[in-house]
Amino acid sequence: MKKLIALLMVLAMVFALVACTAKPADKPAEQPGTVDPESIPDTMTSADGTYEIAFVTDVGQLKDKSFNQGTWEGCKLYAAANNKSYKYYQPANADKATDDDRYDAMKAAADGGAKVIVCAGFMQGNALARAAADFPEVNFIFIDGWAFDGLNNIAGIAYQEEQAGYLAGYAVVMEGYTKLGFCGGGGGTNPACCRYGYGFVQGANAAAAEKGITVDIKYSWQYGASFSASPELQTMAAGWYESGTEIIFACGGSMFASIVAAAGENDAKVVGVDVDQSPESGTVVTSAMKGLSVSVEWAIAKHFDGKWDEIGGKATSLGAANDAVGLPVDTWSLKNWTVADYEKLFASMKDGTLVVDPNFPEDNVFNLSNAKVEVI
Amino acid sequence: MSFLISKTLIYAIPLMIVALAGVFSERSGIINLALEGIMIFGAFVGALAINLMQQANTFHIVDAALDMNANWGSLQLFLVLIMLMTAVAGALFSLLLAFAAINLKADQTIGGTALNMLSPALVCFFIRLIAQQSELRMFKGDAASWFMVKKSMLGFDKAKDLGFLGETFLNKVYLTTYICILLFVVLSIFLYKTRFGLRLRACGENPQAAASLGINVYKMRYSGVVISGALAGLGGFVYTLTTSNCVANGDVAGFGFLALAVMIFGNWKPLSIAGAALLFGLFKCVAASYSTLDINGDGVFLLLNLSKDPVWGKILNPHMYRLIPYVISLLVLAFTSKKSRAPKAEGIPYDKGMR
Repeated sequence: MKKLIALLMVLAMVFALVACTAKPADKPAEQPGTVDPESIPDTMTSADGTYEIAFVTDVGQLKDKSFNQGTWEGCKLYAAANNKSYKYYQPANADKATDDDRYDAMKAAADGGAKVIVCAGFMQGNALARAAADFPEVNFIFIDGWAFDGLNNIAGIAYQEEQAGYLAGYAVVMEGYTKLGFCGGGGGTNPACCRYGYGFVQGANAAAAEKGITVDIKYSWQYGASFSASPELQTMAAGWYESGTEIIFACGGSMFASIVAAAGENDAKVVGVDVDQSPESGTVVTSAMKGLSVSVEWAIAKHFDGKWDEIGGKATSLGAANDAVGLPVDTWSLKNWTVADYEKLFASMKDGTLVVDPNFPEDNVFNLSNAKVEVI
Repeated sequence: MSFLISKTLIYAIPLMIVALAGVFSERSGIINLALEGIMIFGAFVGALAINLMQQANTFHIVDAALDMNANWGSLQLFLVLIMLMTAVAGALFSLLLAFAAINLKADQTIGGTALNMLSPALVCFFIRLIAQQSELRMFKGDAASWFMVKKSMLGFDKAKDLGFLGETFLNKVYLTTYICILLFVVLSIFLYKTRFGLRLRACGENPQAAASLGINVYKMRYSGVVISGALAGLGGFVYTLTTSNCVANGDVAGFGFLALAVMIFGNWKPLSIAGAALLFGLFKCVAASYSTLDINGDGVFLLLNLSKDPVWGKILNPHMYRLIPYVISLLVLAFTSKKSRAPKAEGIPYDKGMR
């Protein structure tokens, strides 16, 4: 028995050591003048125990290497540059969080001295309306959100995801892929994912029309309702790749892990979402990005610079015209389609000559000339 | 077809090995409800080991998906090492159940349930400490690129067709699959054809009779639970490696409980368990990949077309496909449960004085 206890104690010590050494080492900033958000710690302790900038996460992990993380990096970057205190709050019950759980997280943030609270994800709407009414002195930034009548302390920020999706779809077809896939999160009810997906097929269609070819697109919301990875999603994606699909647009947080594993099995490719996901895996060709980090910084600055009136109580839609969507030209692995081509396309989107339809078709019926969309 | 077989194996292997874990414990007389909890713990230890290996850059691999000259041999060896580690971790964790059930004569069902609740909590606590979030992922890349064995690694050309058997069993497979099958066979023989196996089974049927012949029932039951824990820990790691991209999040999607069902389904006998796991795995796989299943290779996806058919689609839709594994289990149980026979002394704490 003594031996057993000794063994357990040794194990506990090993675990403690592992826990100490496993903290990521601070990486040096890559370029002078820019700060690597990863180098800013996720938790900080302020002198008086209050935190001015608060972030309430969407479903999924803080470090989902996607939506939450991008938003959080904006908060951290602003806080670090302007010497503000910051803290993140994850609503209880993870992906089954209720409006009450979200409200509690916002209340905890407000009680913790938050002056501006960044709330990510359209599902926070109901909780946000309640919290904003209860804490009128706190300003709320609602990412992927909208405005509320009479609540001037909420700034709704939405993105024209359809433009990012369009750019990605256009790019991969121009690159030479003809069999595409789309795996979306939210089960078809998430407006951002719908815009991404519809933009993606429109872009693919436009490029196919230009090349005079027809592309096949498999389009699915299955196994994505909670944005999480699952064995079933991995199997489904592996089946797609096995039967000829060359590249899948993984549109939804942690779902990325399942798609990228399936791609790894088949030496196939993936399009990332929200942030540049190419550092995650060599299978990522490019990513449909929205400038989460930049726009969050911009919105927080409005609060601290006393210009809240410009965005408060309104819904702001950011798109190509604000440089809030795009593809990561430095890290993409496209070869046949050049940065110059991209910039040309992006410019036409920016000046309004190229308009992408954001309204997802009802009943999943796509009327496209050069793309055969198979809804699964 | 080869896709269906290899994916079925991917689902079936963790079920099989964890169900066998249940057999070893129950055949020695201890109900091991904690399979799920031990799997979760094993999955965590495996994921942590891989994460740390990648952080330390032990094998100097920058990006496995692109690096064709990566040192696959040492990676596979490393995989075997992790399998050992997770087995040890599972065995250690199961000692808690053994101690409660054998020494303290506690109710085994409650002891197992307690471990099932303890394990995710403990794992999430460690993950919080290590990764500052509720999910521990690979440090970089994906599990398939790093650990899957592909034909190009075995020296075959990528474009070469290895035929049906070669494509199924040499391409896109995990080493863990074969190690688990080997373990399964060896341990099944061990249970039935060795003196130790006979004694273990005797302790699950009539421990007092076994004791009267000089067998140390405590020792046998400890061995049963520890072997069970080792297999379940290993099964947890295999699950996370092959189906979850080496993510540890205090969850194995109920595979531990499924394995319990498979064990009962298989009547506590290894061969039937293998059959049951394969059957279950097959239908799980069909449900997830029905849209691209083409059994005879004629380019027609029968199940997908049926699900879109206005008449058939009412019955054969994706939701129904997902129900099938469970419906089949119920049906088979309904027909076979008459013959089903659990070890006689399982769940009853051993009492020397009882007759």
